[in-house]
Amino acid sequence: MSDDKPIIFETIADMPEIVVSEASMLWNHTGSWRFMKPAYQNKVPPCNQGCPAGNDVEQFISLIGEKKYAEAKAVLKEENPFPRVCGRVCYHPCETACNRSKFDSPTAINALERFVGDFADGASPKPVRPPTQKTVAVVGSGPAGLTAAYHLARMGHTVTVFEGKEKAGGLLRYGIPAYRLGDDVLDSEIADIEALGVKIQCGRQVGKDLPFEELKKHDAVFIGAGVHQSQKLGAPGEDAKGVMSGLEFLARVNGGERPALGKKVIVIGGGNSAVDAARCALRLGADVALYYRRSRVEMPAFEAEVDEAEAEGVAINILGAPVKIKVDVGKVVGLTLNKMILGEPDESGRRRPEPIPGSEFDVEADTVITAIGEKSDFDFLPDGIKLEWGKIAIDEFGLTSHPGVFAGGDIALSTQNVAYAIGSGKKAAVAIDRFLAGEKMDEIGDRILIGGEGPVSISRYLATGDAHAKNDAFQTVVSYEELNLNYFDESERSKRIHLDKAARLAGFDEVNAGLTEAEAMHEAERCFHCGVCTMCDNCYVYCPDVAIRQKDDGMGYDIDFDYCKGCGICFKECPRSAMILEDE
Amino acid sequence: MKKVLMGNHAASWAAKLSRVQFIAAYPITPQTQIVEELSEMCGSGELKAKFMKVESEHSAMAACVAAASVGVRTFTATSANGLALMHEVLHWAAGARLPIVMVNVNRAMAPGWSIWSDQCDSLSQRDTGWMQLYAENNQEVLDTVIQAYKISEKVLLPVMVCYDAFFLSHTYEPVDIPDIKLVDDFIPHEMRENILDTKNPKSFNSLTMPDVYMEMRYKIQRAHDRALDVTEEVDAEFQKVFGRSYGVVEAVQCDDAEIIMVTSSTTSSPARLVIKELREQGVKIGLLKMRLFRPFPVKRVKEVLLGVKKVVVIDRNISFGKGGIFADEIKGALANEANRPKVWGYITGLGGRDIVPEALREIALEVQDMDEPPEHSIIWKGLKS
Repeated sequence: MSDDKPIIFETIADMPEIVVSEASMLWNHTGSWRFMKPAYQNKVPPCNQGCPAGNDVEQFISLIGEKKYAEAKAVLKEENPFPRVCGRVCYHPCETACNRSKFDSPTAINALERFVGDFADGASPKPVRPPTQKTVAVVGSGPAGLTAAYHLARMGHTVTVFEGKEKAGGLLRYGIPAYRLGDDVLDSEIADIEALGVKIQCGRQVGKDLPFEELKKHDAVFIGAGVHQSQKLGAPGEDAKGVMSGLEFLARVNGGERPALGKKVIVIGGGNSAVDAARCALRLGADVALYYRRSRVEMPAFEAEVDEAEAEGVAINILGAPVKIKVDVGKVVGLTLNKMILGEPDESGRRRPEPIPGSEFDVEADTVITAIGEKSDFDFLPDGIKLEWGKIAIDEFGLTSHPGVFAGGDIALSTQNVAYAIGSGKKAAVAIDRFLAGEKMDEIGDRILIGGEGPVSISRYLATGDAHAKNDAFQTVVSYEELNLNYFDESERSKRIHLDKAARLAGFDEVNAGLTEAEAMHEAERCFHCGVCTMCDNCYVYCPDVAIRQKDDGMGYDIDFDYCKGCGICFKECPRSAMILEDE
Repeated sequence: MKKVLMGNHAASWAAKLSRVQFIAAYPITPQTQIVEELSEMCGSGELKAKFMKVESEHSAMAACVAAASVGVRTFTATSANGLALMHEVLHWAAGARLPIVMVNVNRAMAPGWSIWSDQCDSLSQRDTGWMQLYAENNQEVLDTVIQAYKISEKVLLPVMVCYDAFFLSHTYEPVDIPDIKLVDDFIPHEMRENILDTKNPKSFNSLTMPDVYMEMRYKIQRAHDRALDVTEEVDAEFQKVFGRSYGVVEAVQCDDAEIIMVTSSTTSSPARLVIKELREQGVKIGLLKMRLFRPFPVKRVKEVLLGVKKVVVIDRNISFGKGGIFADEIKGALANEANRPKVWGYITGLGGRDIVPEALREIALEVQDMDEPPEHSIIWKGLKS
């Protein structure tokens, strides 16, 4: 164009009727005016980072929205062998992280996980790699051990799990009551793990039925033996008949026993075991009172579980600590307690309970269940495995002080719950896989830790993820402030239906019902899909230069940088921060 | 085919018969039924046009500018404050020489809030470069919209077709609906030059330097000059095909008149009655109905009014600080002529107040009795004392 001479109009007749260029302007790529450049970039939704088990929450919900239930289940199983279990027992930190919680109420992620786990048909996952000839021993068949075994098997390794108890599942089977998690659910998910070739040897307790040394013929060892020993009350009368630990009681009930408790049951403690024990005792026909030495807010049990226990009829008594167990002819008859007051904060940050002098009082009891904390048994470990704060010391990916020996779950983690145990099993599986291949971990975390510091993404580690992964900013978590909330409407969260009180106390039927398909669709529609392009067309519709075009295959958009002037409207109008605006 | 239609639906029918391809509009009383009916016609498929809902009249006209720029036949309708909101884009439509046809239902400007009729809304847009035609009845509404497309596409000027709120918009009258095939032949839609075309992109309406801007303005004025003839030619051609014509002005019994009453829009109808009655009583009075306001038909006005003693202009509008706008235009048209009549300017009927035959008769007789128009040139009729 610049070669052409300017057009000079000599007369009015020369001039066009309107102000218009005489020649084509095809040469003028107005994109040259641009100094900022938009791009599509998926980021990490906070739920994904918030899930200790590393589920791709956004993607499985997206697939539910498309009624692709089997695919949604496959996305869950890519990361976590226990969607049905977690959909029931997880305390769902993903929902705490959910951006929607700042808008109205979080998407019911936990209920959706259960829905898809229960509702979808789905073949058991297949190994993603051919057999490697490497073998791994796993100690303990709880969520950490089985998760590690599951992923290692998918990576082609031969895995044997050693379990001291009669059946596999660990805490999931023996610790969590049936009204929260039934055996059939657990069995189905363990069957999927076994279908990958994982061998589970039950009744083979390491340190008792076989020495730890025997595991050394395997190429690597993972320890996920959990916590088994109840802490002693340290009060007189503790050895009397009618006093039992929460873990022992729960294991017996979950194993099918129905111990005779008498009419009055006192539970001591404020954690999940205490609350579970209280609710089980209630179902066995007892009047149950729970005593906790601090106040309600300090109770370590999940708040919802405490509320449920109370609704079912457990008397929750706070600021009461046992002084002695009253015994008559070798059998418990009651309990003496002190009233407590909260003093200055202790090293845990919680206010220390202190006895009020002269406040002792007595209660009658036929059974006392103590659940004031559990600890692990380390006797079976070989020398040289370092312990720290009552746990096996591990690095971020589960390596102990002993090469080739890894650990996870409650025996190694200060945060004791199912989701963290699963997450630790995944991290160890990655570390063991690298170890078996003779490769270093190096900066692998940058590539596979969700949000840069969250749980591990196995789909990224194994590169089995879908196209989303290509332009991902895998370390950037989308905040609430980055969303364009103009595009979201308030919408009521689905309520989970609970069994009524009479039906609950009649037995061990599951308390919480799952979502119906319609409710699941409603919840899926509530998801903001933070940081993930849903092809909503906002960018395409709003581009004033028509420089954004839908791809022919319908999967996303192309930006025509010949004409994109970098105005940023597409970026601004993206509801979910799935675009960026960069310097040119 | 005859139908009994409200004025607004006569406008919708006219747009349909003209096979408009694009409609962008925002509803406003008393215009709403026009676009409501058109949206239904588009919805049912009987009118194959893109109907675009917009968030304001400014956007409606902007969308029409865009649509007309790619060469499709474009329609919109509005009223009062809606038209005022379009103001900036009205200049753009005319400056870009886009053949857009818009119906404006004349409604008084707020405040005080009013939905009733007067002409201040469209007359406020006098200088935007749009052509303006004022219709007297529902048949004329329909016919004028069809004529407007033919004129507009010939001279490349946007055309506003105006009629009175409620007196026409919501009043039912028998309307002859012409055969659409005849309309097709009457206004074939031909692609003009210089349209937006992605295959041959051009720069439109860009920065225009002082060395050419004035010439572009001159060309707009020249188009208006031409439009005077084109409007008459189109009207004559319409007469041949459809059997009806209106002229740019209509003179009734003016040949021997000593007084001529000048009206526009529905005011012409009671005026016709009054003229007839006064003639029977021996008053030599005639009527000049103004149909075309922009371009102003100076030549036709002179042909009718020069040589007459007295002219009385009825204005349902006011230019504050001056007076009736039609009166002023008439005076301006005659100013340089030696045999120009004396001109009385009456303002009445603002904000939908009735202009009844009795009032017009009183005005005629008052003027007959006066030798000179009052010094302050505005005479208010029907104002409460």
